Amino acid sequence: MRIITHTCPACGTVVAANELERNRVMKCPGLGCQEVLRFEDLSEDAREHFREHWDRYQI
Amino acid sequence: MKGVLLSGGTGSRLRPITHTGPKQLVPVANKPVLEYAIEDLKEAGITEIGVILGNKGRDEIQELLGDGSKYGVDITYIVQGNPLGLAHAAGCARDFVGDDDFVMYLGDNILKSGVTDLVESFEAGDYGAGIALQEVEDPQAFGIADVDDEGNVTQLIEKPDDPPTNLALIGMYVFSPAVFDAIEGLKPSWRGELEITDAIQDLLEDGYEIDSHVVTGWWKDTGKPEDILEANRLVLEDRELKTSGVVEDGAETDGRIELAETAVIEDGAVVRGPVSIAENTTIKRGTYVGPYTSVGANSTLEDIHIENSVVIGDSEITANGRIVDSLLGRGANVGSAKELLPEGRRLVVGENSQLKL
Repeated sequence: MRIITHTCPACGTVVAANELERNRVMKCPGLGCQEVLRFEDLSEDAREHFREHWDRYQI
Repeated sequence: MKGVLLSGGTGSRLRPITHTGPKQLVPVANKPVLEYAIEDLKEAGITEIGVILGNKGRDEIQELLGDGSKYGVDITYIVQGNPLGLAHAAGCARDFVGDDDFVMYLGDNILKSGVTDLVESFEAGDYGAGIALQEVEDPQAFGIADVDDEGNVTQLIEKPDDPPTNLALIGMYVFSPAVFDAIEGLKPSWRGELEITDAIQDLLEDGYEIDSHVVTGWWKDTGKPEDILEANRLVLEDRELKTSGVVEDGAETDGRIELAETAVIEDGAVVRGPVSIAENTTIKRGTYVGPYTSVGANSTLEDIHIENSVVIGDSEITANGRIVDSLLGRGANVGSAKELLPEGRRLVVGENSQLKL
């Protein structure tokens, strides 16, 4: 299973795609970081893959 | 070599303690479980650590560990979100790990001997992975490894009916970056998770050698209240305990006692070690604190007899009675109902609490 992540450009916190997809737009979960992270920050290829296999990323 | 420290999970078996915080921060001998793991990694020479966060307790864990500088390590946080399995957690760390080897350490585990031997054993050969094993009495209940004469793993079997060995996987692993390709090839198991044992099995089938290291000292998964008590007992048994606080004249102490600088054992109290008493805690007259007890910070104990228990902290325990084999959450208070009418116990008990009266 392809595991997709995104790294916050401000604080370096790594966020899994399922977390980004769930929130679509979110404040970076790094403590004290004010950066806004978006599902759209992922590459188009990564977003498409995630959408096609959405069920695998749920529990 | 880097470290990946798993700190997700719901902590459901530790409720109600985990209603208000992650299981990895429950203290054992007055130190959060997670700090033992950080120290073990540091001792093994690993100073770059990725901490995997789940859906629970993210802020609390980050507040405790910070950037790692107070432990002499550098911490990167990795938010896994949904608990999609250990292999998914490892996969989330791919960018952090890069081309390095890494130790994967379950953050709610404590082991006496640390991970240095496991790391050295892995580094002595050319392995795809290394796993820590321990002999168990009931191998049918564990993931079991079959190993050859040289200690190389030949097969992993999950809860076998007919186990070939009694060597159980204990949740400490070393991986080469080859594991990431194995993880990419995995499909979720019947329980919807990416299983790390499947990734190791795939490495084996791809021709990688898998090292094994048998851990001889104790190891505890602190997932349940009784495990916390057992881990507390084991750590107090082993750790050097220093009395820095005030022991008043007339107090009776015996055995090894860790007493924080601002803690007090008052005249008329009895404390028998091994015991750990944290800062700003007072053991008052008429109290007995027996072996294998840890009392957290900012607590007052009076008239109570307590042993083999963990009081997490911020508690007032002033009932005249006996408390044994107990785990009391932060801010839990136990007072006396002696003067109250009608006679009887008064309880304010949270969801999933367990009481034996």
